[in-house]
Amino acid sequence: MDPAPRSAPEPDGGGAPAEASGFPSPARDYFNGGIDLNRHLIRDRTCTFIMRVAGNAMAAAGIADGDELIVDRSLVPRDGSVVVAVLDGELVVRRLRLGGRGASLETDDGARPTELTELADLTVWGVATRCLHRV
Amino acid sequence: MSDAGAADAPGPVPPGAPIALVDVNNFYVSCERVFDPSLEGRAVVVLSNNDGCVVARSAEAKALGITTGTPWFQVAPSADRWGLVARSSNYELYGDLSARVMEVIGRFGAWQEVYSIDESFLGLAPGEFRRAEARVVEVAATIREAVARHVGVPVCVGVAPTKTLAKFANHIAKRNAGMRGVCSLGSMPDAEVRRIQSRVPVTGLWGVGARTGARLNALGIESIADLRAADPLAIRKRFSVVLQRTVLELNGVPCIPQADERADKQQIVFSRSFSAPVTRAEEMDQVMAVYAQRGAARLAAQGQRASVLTVTAGTSRFSGGAASFPSASVPLPEPTNDPIRLTKAAVAAMRGRLEPGAAYLRAGVMFSGLSRDVAGGGQELLDVFATGDGDRNVGDLLGNVRAKFGEAAIGLGQGGLAAPASWSMKREFSSPKYTTEWAELPVVRA
Repeated sequence: MDPAPRSAPEPDGGGAPAEASGFPSPARDYFNGGIDLNRHLIRDRTCTFIMRVAGNAMAAAGIADGDELIVDRSLVPRDGSVVVAVLDGELVVRRLRLGGRGASLETDDGARPTELTELADLTVWGVATRCLHRV
Repeated sequence: MSDAGAADAPGPVPPGAPIALVDVNNFYVSCERVFDPSLEGRAVVVLSNNDGCVVARSAEAKALGITTGTPWFQVAPSADRWGLVARSSNYELYGDLSARVMEVIGRFGAWQEVYSIDESFLGLAPGEFRRAEARVVEVAATIREAVARHVGVPVCVGVAPTKTLAKFANHIAKRNAGMRGVCSLGSMPDAEVRRIQSRVPVTGLWGVGARTGARLNALGIESIADLRAADPLAIRKRFSVVLQRTVLELNGVPCIPQADERADKQQIVFSRSFSAPVTRAEEMDQVMAVYAQRGAARLAAQGQRASVLTVTAGTSRFSGGAASFPSASVPLPEPTNDPIRLTKAAVAAMRGRLEPGAAYLRAGVMFSGLSRDVAGGGQELLDVFATGDGDRNVGDLLGNVRAKFGEAAIGLGQGGLAAPASWSMKREFSSPKYTTEWAELPVVRA
């Protein structure tokens, strides 16, 4: 009654290219699937989000207006990390500087950094790991 | 795969191992806050389909006295004065964040049973906890932190020897800010547990509705403590085996081994344990197909459509092989109870998520974001059979499923294809589909 008996042969290569009807492709045994950007760009899908950048204050870091940022929420932000932080109820991308008791969130255009005298005032939403930039 | 068979199947709950019930606080509101931090600390409500009435409230909105089910038009005139923010239901967002939350939670368990879009039972490994109760609390707190860090929503964790008590522990965690979202009954003095149970009415228990509650009250059983002290056999005779189980579970005897079909206002769950493990993707495709169609039939029977479909599967910790608890939620392009669409969506959602070599012992399909089906013409019926995109194999699929699970296992609900000629849902206050639409990504200012 079992329509899919366990002894049934496995179908050939799940995602492999279609077989030529004549000779089998010599590349057949070498095909393990194409490059999967999700696998290479996303360490952990549960905590990775993509955000769109508005503004050019981080251009020197290679982050331009309209780019997409890959943001990992689970990474621990360090001194120098490019982070998505919450400032006045808004999500902003900044370079984090940690020093002494406090922290500062800097843009890369030399504008005045936001100084946070207490670490408790700092809300890091996530750490930016990649920037997708259209060339 | 009959209901009776499912009840006989080995359950995933080993006796004595702690069970956690993890759920997200004010789930829909918490999801909205992840990408809009300006909503933090404000009174926020999320509205039902078509912006009809309040279905979720932030703590601040609760403090304003707004109750679930309040029609939006009654509150709207005061919204500005109260600083109240309303959001339309954004099921794409909720479904995506739910899948993330469930996956994170699952990493901490020996087994997982996703119970609804925002709550999950989790089996904590027994060996690990033989040493110290403190370790249980520590793991529960770690789960809470992990979900907050990975997804950004707050959860509460209740831990106890049975599901019913885990639910109760979760209830305590939620109502006592000092517990920081974690309550393990084993950490509380028994006298304290009994004191709380004597103050909470039976209807505060998982699975005890208002009607059963009234019948229990008539017998003098008013509090949870009263029910705990009741004679299980007498309860079975007067009520049901289900309520007898509740009594046993209150006394620390685990006897609700797995989810069965449940329905409430917000979701329909179709979940089963298998009589034999499923190891191959093709077999899981069939399982998904059967469950999706059974669920679709129920949706149709209740006159409802779903906007989000969630699939889950799980291995048993006793099966030896790799542990794996895949879960995925997919937004449906439009609310539907069409069995063919739901089948396709369920099969596609599970594909590629199975761990090679893992032996799956249970799976489920869940429908959420439910809305009323509006009786209409037969356009969609014609559409479905006219398009033919990938529908060609449905006949084979149905045949295979029937052969494997029996003739009665599958059927296209007669109401399943009815649909209005045009459907549009009012979502005036919807936030963007931040995580499922490339054009609606959250904006970060540089």
